[in-house]
Amino acid sequence: MAVCSRLPLQRFLSASSPRLLSCRNVQAESAAPGPLYPPVLPSRSAKSKSAKRRVLLEFYEQLRGAEPREKIRGLTRIQRMKYVVYPQTFAQGADRWYQHFTKTAYLPGLPDKFTSEAEPHQEQEFEDAVLSELRSLVCNALLQENWHMKKGRTFIHGEQKQYVRPFVTNIVSGLVHSLARTNPVLRLSSLDFDPQVNFYWVHGERTIPRGHRSGRVEPQRFQIDDKPHSQIRIPHQLPEFVPLKAEISAEVPVIQLEPDRLPLFRRQYDNNIYIGAKLEDPCCYGHTQFHVVPDKFHRNKLNKKNLPGHIEVFLRANAITSLYAWTGAQAMYQGFWSEQDVSRPFVSQAIITDGQYFSFFCYQLNTLALSSFSTPNNPRKNLCWGTESLRLYERITDGDVIGWDDNVLKLLVQFLLNKPQN
Amino acid sequence: MAKRLIYPIYQLGNPQLRIFRPTFNMTLVRPGKEQPADTVQFRISMEMTKFDVRNYLEKIYSVPVAAVRTRIQYCTNKKRNHLNQRVKRPDYKVAYVQLSQQQTFQFPDIFPEKEKKHEEGSVEEMQEKFMEDERQRQKPDPRRGGVTEWFGL
Repeated sequence: MAVCSRLPLQRFLSASSPRLLSCRNVQAESAAPGPLYPPVLPSRSAKSKSAKRRVLLEFYEQLRGAEPREKIRGLTRIQRMKYVVYPQTFAQGADRWYQHFTKTAYLPGLPDKFTSEAEPHQEQEFEDAVLSELRSLVCNALLQENWHMKKGRTFIHGEQKQYVRPFVTNIVSGLVHSLARTNPVLRLSSLDFDPQVNFYWVHGERTIPRGHRSGRVEPQRFQIDDKPHSQIRIPHQLPEFVPLKAEISAEVPVIQLEPDRLPLFRRQYDNNIYIGAKLEDPCCYGHTQFHVVPDKFHRNKLNKKNLPGHIEVFLRANAITSLYAWTGAQAMYQGFWSEQDVSRPFVSQAIITDGQYFSFFCYQLNTLALSSFSTPNNPRKNLCWGTESLRLYERITDGDVIGWDDNVLKLLVQFLLNKPQN
Repeated sequence: MAKRLIYPIYQLGNPQLRIFRPTFNMTLVRPGKEQPADTVQFRISMEMTKFDVRNYLEKIYSVPVAAVRTRIQYCTNKKRNHLNQRVKRPDYKVAYVQLSQQQTFQFPDIFPEKEKKHEEGSVEEMQEKFMEDERQRQKPDPRRGGVTEWFGL
């Protein structure tokens, strides 16, 4: 029988015939096939924990790519009951509780930058001239308010408003304008009086004990509304005191009790995040805040009430909360939030005074992710350095200031001379 | 000072009102919710104020007090007796006292659980022994290592 010779030659000529294809590229790996089926995701609308989690994570994904203004709006839009944290409070042991709420470790003393200043001799005389000028400025302001001006008696709890607040206003504006020569960033800074600083954050969870939502897990929300006496805002970030990943031995105190025991009370109102100026302001980083101790918390009154230990506790609590709120708000203005943690530390300083005693505090915000999905066991913690209250002068008699302490003024000047690296 | 007594009106220049031997009582209670270590909870008379509580503890018991907070607990008037009359449970005032000088207080365990040991030769002791033996017999063989009798011969 004749072999069929009319078989189509195309079959053998074509390079893509099955016979040739099967022999070709046997050694090479085949391309990884794409997923055959769509990913298995939990539902969006079911009454289940995974559904709620999915909705929340999708919302966070949406926020990641948004502008800072929309991020802040998205995080603060929904109002719910929240704990209102007052920086100035009578609560006993408030500084430990506030350290727990803000994940801050407190370090007594100031960072190395301020303690180990080895000044060469050439700068000494130059420094002395500047220092004597500033000393006379502060002394004059002090005498003006307390001695030269004739001020009658005020109502109860009106002493600070009448004597100390104008004094602090004068020295702040005087020092900032005189030191603008030495510290060029102060020339570009913005000095605000009676600004508002607000911050809203979420930390920890609680199970609702009673009510129609009992048994459900809800986050604990906090809000700080602070009104410092004055603050300085600068267009560039201050340098960090300690690297972001540094190991610090101080611990953040952890308190297992609920915040109601402090006592801390809950209210529902607008969730605000504000540094003292709106988002578009070029001076969006903080430099120094000045706080004045109100009459209620003055050391004489606390001593009369048998609460001498509360003087320092009050100052620490005030510094930690005010500076956390300010640095946190600065970070949120730059677009960082709890899921997108800060990539560089935010640094600010504060000086709390009651007219005679000055306390200096430095704060470094290393993390905003106090309890977040993306970083569950966050090793970073915020740091706060602080001094005890240092006395500037002993008393004022007959147009003279007695018991003047230069170290306090030097520390004040050093704080104001802190400038960003350029 | 006392319940059901009218305090003398204070006029400018009067000396400080002093009370000796007040008729108030303060009851130390175990807190229902977990409190911080320096907080002590009392039930006090409705007429007492925070200042009264502080002076009471400081002067009579020399306990250093840092802060006092009070609240009034309203108790129900809804319950009814066998004559369908509403019966009010009396209200009371609660004071949370925070101690100063870093003192702490933990409410003691007033009713500790003690092991009942019956007398020798009594009926209860023999019953207890019998129950103990029964329970021992019901337990599975420890040599089987927790595996049930179902798997086996």
